[in-house]
Amino acid sequence: MKKNICMPKLSEKMESGVLAAWNKEVGEKVENGEVLFEIETEKVVSEVESQESGILEAVYFEAGDEIKVDEIIAVISCD
Amino acid sequence: MKLVMKSRSMRSSQSSVVTNKETKMEKKPEWLKVSYNKAAVDEVSGIMARLKLNTVCKEANCPNLGECYKKRTATFMIMGNICTRHCRFCNVTSGVVKQVDPNEPLHLAEAVKELDLKHVVITSVTRVDLQDGGARHFANTIRAVRKLNPEVSIEVLIPDLKGVNDHLDIIIEASPEVINHNVETVQALYSQVRPEANYEQSMHVLDYVKTQAPHIKTKTGIMVGLGEADEQVYQVMDDSLKVGCDIFTIGQYLRPSSNHIEVKEYVKPEKFAAYKKIGEAKGFHFITSSPLVRSSYRAEEALDI
Repeated sequence: MKKNICMPKLSEKMESGVLAAWNKEVGEKVENGEVLFEIETEKVVSEVESQESGILEAVYFEAGDEIKVDEIIAVISCD
Repeated sequence: MKLVMKSRSMRSSQSSVVTNKETKMEKKPEWLKVSYNKAAVDEVSGIMARLKLNTVCKEANCPNLGECYKKRTATFMIMGNICTRHCRFCNVTSGVVKQVDPNEPLHLAEAVKELDLKHVVITSVTRVDLQDGGARHFANTIRAVRKLNPEVSIEVLIPDLKGVNDHLDIIIEASPEVINHNVETVQALYSQVRPEANYEQSMHVLDYVKTQAPHIKTKTGIMVGLGEADEQVYQVMDDSLKVGCDIFTIGQYLRPSSNHIEVKEYVKPEKFAAYKKIGEAKGFHFITSSPLVRSSYRAEEALDI
């Protein structure tokens, strides 16, 4: 089963965030709870943990991109 | 090498992509990194929503929210989520306040039980519209929490209550373990950072509490990175110690939005360590100092001394 990974809303007033880094590469295995990517917001950089286990199948943005909350940023092919 | 696949179906979403250069999002130093687990955040947020409670974690956009919620802890913010003050560092919304919820103390006590907290920190917005500044509501909340959770230690992080002793007495009588009142910054920066507050008045709050109730631990804290000089930080330490303050916290000021006062400097972790050493030498019972320290962050650790 494929799961879309969306840009999380890390705070109440957040409308978008900057993708600081991917911590996994396409094709790599991801476990639930592992850091999948990092988002730079106004205050800090958040290491966002994956809610799924599976293979990172595709990512649609690269580091430095500003992305709106809820946009699909990646797909995980779940176990 | 990181692979990026931009499929045809995703093309429509590319319109929102703005390069870092265009975002004006300031690059953070490496030590300002926090973790975020959506499931953990959603769980605690759900409890708060069900019990109609606010947390300063959420309202202040605290960088530690992810860590604290994951550990199933939070700092409650009572008397609404709208503040009557307009401090230039704070993310809490200012404006027209709503009526205080009389059921809030009970709901908060229930949340403490549900989260199985051993130590609870309760703060509030500033309510200059209330005759007692909200002191009775604080006292009611302390008593409700105590009744339902007799083992829990209670820390209140209070506004200055305009320095009115009678109002401070109401909270003192409810006998929390810790009364915290943050001076927030060095005296010289008050007009820029806390224009509606007064340094001496804040020191008076700490002084009065300790004088009236020496058994209650008093606590204060400051943000750094607002352009303060070391000597000014040491002066706040000295002034706090002079009024018997037990616990001192120092953390990095982080700008909530471009409408807030600017960060002048990202203070290095080594400097925070140096502040801690100096504060300990000066005589605080407990001092915590690091970039992501907030006044209620791991607050229970100060009681283990």
